[in-house]
Amino acid sequence: MATGTLVDVVMPQMGVSVSEGTITKWIKSEGEAVEADETLLEISTDKVDTEVPSPASGVVQQILVPEGETVEVGTKLAVIAPEGAAAPAPAETPAEPVAEEAPEPATQEAAAESAAAAGPEGETPTAATVETPAPPAVSTPDGQEDGARFVSPVVARIAAEHGVDVAQVPGTGRGGRVTKKDILGFIESGAAAAPAAPEAPVAPDAPAAAPAPAAAPAPAPAPAPAPSPAPAEAQAGETLEAMSAMRRGIAEHMRRSLDTSAHVTSAIEVDMSKVAALRQKLKKEYQAAYGVNPTYLAFVARAAVETLKDYPWINGELRGDSIVTRNFVNLGFAVELADGKGLIVPVIKNAETLNLLGIAKAIADIAARARDKKLLPEDVQGGTFTITNPGGYGTFHGTPVISQPQAGILGTYAVVKRPWVVQDEMGEDVIAIRSIMNLTLTYDHRLVDGALAGRFLRDLRERLQTWGESDY
Amino acid sequence: MAEKTYLQAISDGLRQEMRRDKRVFVIGEDVGVYGGAFKVTQGFQEEFGPWRVIDAPLAETAIVGGCTGAALMGMRPVAEMQFADFVSCAWDHLVTVAAKQRFRAGTPVPIVVRCPSGGGFSGGPFHSQNPESSFAHIPGLRIVCPATPEDAKGLLVSAIEDPNPVLYFEHKHLYRRIKANVPDERYTIPFGEARVHRDGEDLTVVTWGAMVYTATEAAEKVAEEDGISTEILDLRTIVPWDRDAVLASVEKTSKVLVLHEDTHTGGFGGEIAATIAEEAFEHLDAPVRRITAPDTPVPFAPALEKTFLPQVDDVVAGLRELAAY
Amino acid sequence: MAIAREAEPVSSLTEVREFGLDREDLLDIYRHLLTTRGIEERGHILYKQGKIPGSFYTGRGNEASAVGIGTAMGPDDVGAPLHRDMGVHIVRGMEPWRVFAQFMGRMDGPTQGKDGNVHMADIRLGLVAMVSHLPAMLPVAVGCALAFRIREEKRVALGWFGEGASSRGDTHEAMNLAGVRRLPIVFICDNNQWAYSTPTHLEYAVEHIADRAKAYGFDGVVVDGTDVLAVYREAKLAIEKAREGGGPTLIECQTLRMEGHAVHDDAFYVPKEMFEEWAKRDPLESFRTWLRANAEFTDEEEDEIRGEVKKLLNEAVKRAEESAVPDGSTLLDGVYATPEDLDNPHHK
Repeated sequence: MATGTLVDVVMPQMGVSVSEGTITKWIKSEGEAVEADETLLEISTDKVDTEVPSPASGVVQQILVPEGETVEVGTKLAVIAPEGAAAPAPAETPAEPVAEEAPEPATQEAAAESAAAAGPEGETPTAATVETPAPPAVSTPDGQEDGARFVSPVVARIAAEHGVDVAQVPGTGRGGRVTKKDILGFIESGAAAAPAAPEAPVAPDAPAAAPAPAAAPAPAPAPAPAPSPAPAEAQAGETLEAMSAMRRGIAEHMRRSLDTSAHVTSAIEVDMSKVAALRQKLKKEYQAAYGVNPTYLAFVARAAVETLKDYPWINGELRGDSIVTRNFVNLGFAVELADGKGLIVPVIKNAETLNLLGIAKAIADIAARARDKKLLPEDVQGGTFTITNPGGYGTFHGTPVISQPQAGILGTYAVVKRPWVVQDEMGEDVIAIRSIMNLTLTYDHRLVDGALAGRFLRDLRERLQTWGESDY
Repeated sequence: MAEKTYLQAISDGLRQEMRRDKRVFVIGEDVGVYGGAFKVTQGFQEEFGPWRVIDAPLAETAIVGGCTGAALMGMRPVAEMQFADFVSCAWDHLVTVAAKQRFRAGTPVPIVVRCPSGGGFSGGPFHSQNPESSFAHIPGLRIVCPATPEDAKGLLVSAIEDPNPVLYFEHKHLYRRIKANVPDERYTIPFGEARVHRDGEDLTVVTWGAMVYTATEAAEKVAEEDGISTEILDLRTIVPWDRDAVLASVEKTSKVLVLHEDTHTGGFGGEIAATIAEEAFEHLDAPVRRITAPDTPVPFAPALEKTFLPQVDDVVAGLRELAAY
Repeated sequence: MAIAREAEPVSSLTEVREFGLDREDLLDIYRHLLTTRGIEERGHILYKQGKIPGSFYTGRGNEASAVGIGTAMGPDDVGAPLHRDMGVHIVRGMEPWRVFAQFMGRMDGPTQGKDGNVHMADIRLGLVAMVSHLPAMLPVAVGCALAFRIREEKRVALGWFGEGASSRGDTHEAMNLAGVRRLPIVFICDNNQWAYSTPTHLEYAVEHIADRAKAYGFDGVVVDGTDVLAVYREAKLAIEKAREGGGPTLIECQTLRMEGHAVHDDAFYVPKEMFEEWAKRDPLESFRTWLRANAEFTDEEEDEIRGEVKKLLNEAVKRAEESAVPDGSTLLDGVYATPEDLDNPHHK
């Protein structure tokens, strides 16, 4: 190759596996004339010793590699100024031998295109009851919120394992998708530093009995979740323990729910005697025939679903400036995970289509699957109303945290035998021993007023106290 | 320990084995007086004599078939194909007799067929091929593709020891270009064990042969310019291949690229990619990519061969694309 | 124009003794001939009864060639016989019941059901199992001879091929290498005049396959393949010559394939006259006649031998039928050899 008028002499390849050669002798010296094909130098390689003929006629302008030196095949050894060429200064840069094409810098997609960052909603995660931690509900990562986003297998798996809603994770991958790194980083930091409020579906629920922790992904558009607070230091007598991702998620959502809804709680006492009697009757039959237990929770759930039909706002949602009501009830139940690891809120879809037996079975199934970690993504999303049972441990009252973006959460408490004033057959007041359960409705006062809540509880109580044997 | 070229390591390993075990002999075209087309057996005939370093007629079937017969009689033959491309002349024998003898007749065939493979020096269509995948498909054969001098020696010794027919693909473009420290003593390297040529966190490259060096150059470039950390797995042997190591690396990085110099369709990369998809689907954060030569015979002209062989830049682009996915 | 030598028939018992056979040996040869034919006739019937799967090949008409050569092999010699050479297996010591087990794909066949019909051999008897792609075993036989040469052992390898297989390159490569290196090998061409339906004049252009030996630097001889003693004599000469370092020989045994290529072939393309003519030269009948004429072979001896063979084969079929059918779980076994596999007499 030559630039201008100069001709290069390069180390030839003498055989397929030869990669270098040694200059044994320069036959011509600098300044000397040479004819094309005339021997210019002698070389030695692994395979053979040979002469190198000149590629052109002219004058040896410059010898670049001295005798005795070994260079790689293709290396420029000398420069020849062809006949008739002007005598150029030795400093003139010769053409490059076998130039490598400059590698094109690979264009890179900028990793983080912010996906349509969910509009900040300012909905705060619901707070759990005082007695039990309220875990944030886990929505499944399936891009429901943003159908354009592709979720890769590994991201789907990690999201399911940790109960993260992929839609809430900022993506730095191609097209703004969430990468493995993104979701791991998100979980690692617990999304504590989510700048914008999350888009809807993450609501920590206060579940009954077993709270489920689901790390609510921070839907912030910014890629990096906020850095954790400055590392704490242990004083004498103290031990430090790192917060798990789940715990961090719960903490974040409880805070957010309380910051979003106007939490008010109303309570009512319910005489569960009729229900208790019916329970006894049905227990054996249900166990034998259907393998389920007709729990108090099942009765309350059934009655609540019926009652919600008349109170659509309590089964509703504030979305922007609109009030959302539905012709269905997706009933969430708070379930505690083993070892106090957290809680999860699986959802029974279309609970309004289920009778008592149906609800009892659905509750049993969903609780088992929650404990066995066999819940599917769709099992923990789409709830419209939640029931939690903090009373499992004997408490009689509480103020659960609403699971965003729902409007209310029903709390059930211990059924306790109490002396109760009832009327005898003559209409006189007497004291009887009755099974009494306290129920609370925590509601978002932005949407639900106290009167509405009160009427709901009244109707609910009525159903439970007058439960007929033929009612199901 | 001494610094040796890839070729010297092979030669030394072979010589050591021939000194150690009288049953080992070499047969091939031009291996005796000439010392082998690539000089791998230079000096061998002087040391071991003409009946242990046998100049064969130009007859690959007779050479490889003869090795099978001799192996059945207790020898440990090491055949040299002058170029890997010529092993196709012995394909029938390898596939029909050698590969199936143990299965059918209970008699093992402990032969080694050395095949100088690979291109990059204008060898043209018949002096540059990488035929490993056509044999990988045939049950009963073992296939070895070392990339480093140390591996070349150890794997050759293992090949001679192995009771099965072994196709040993030595990449001729590495013969003199690659030098490294090689232990002086005898050692073996087990088949089916990959080697982590380079540790990494973000991406995995599965490769073998000369492409190990192409991958390394590319990995260095993207590390420096893009901060991407690439893990390079050198499979070293194709049959058997180290699935566990590959799957473990995929689990780690979730982004994998298979790189081979052989042509695309039916190249062994397909087998690796399919296995990853089958067994590590839930660990994948990107599709499994293959970077290979295109489906053409190996061209002669340097400009064409450059387009044909996967270049450092091709791998760099692949790595960047994978990282950005 | 013929180049190879044409062998003369064997004239007398005296001549036979010169080649190292005594009368007992001759009776053994007769026994082996009967056993060989008996196995194939039984097998033919079993095949038609559906007890033998796949295809069934016989070497009817080639028994003398196979038995003659097998008898001439030394105890440490090796060979790679083909599907018309059942007699070689029998002479070397393969038990008939295992042959039937092989035909039926049972676990006691030499391949344990992994391969069928005569694709079998016992390496301990010095025999190498054939493949279908003929003559792929010729380079292998040459390789065996190469090992003997390298180790300077006085052992000989034998490689068989048919006149059809001779058209493939493996023949040329094997013979050339053997000739160039003067290896201790004897090549045997089973020329039964038909390669499936292809007659010899469409298969090769020389008068005899054996003529080609000269082209490879060694001698060829043509012999009547139905004459067991002539075959024996030529084989013995060639084998001993190779053993003493005299290099290869190519022996062409001429016969007619008396049945189809396989049992499924009725050989309609073979002129009836050929069958009639060669039926008169049946190898078993020929030898029986010779024994009567030259070795005072008696009826009692004949009946005894026949009875023994019949009993042997009856028991063999029965025993083979009791052999286990391979279990599917054995399929994956043995694709690859282990170091333990290297433990057999020829691997020392």
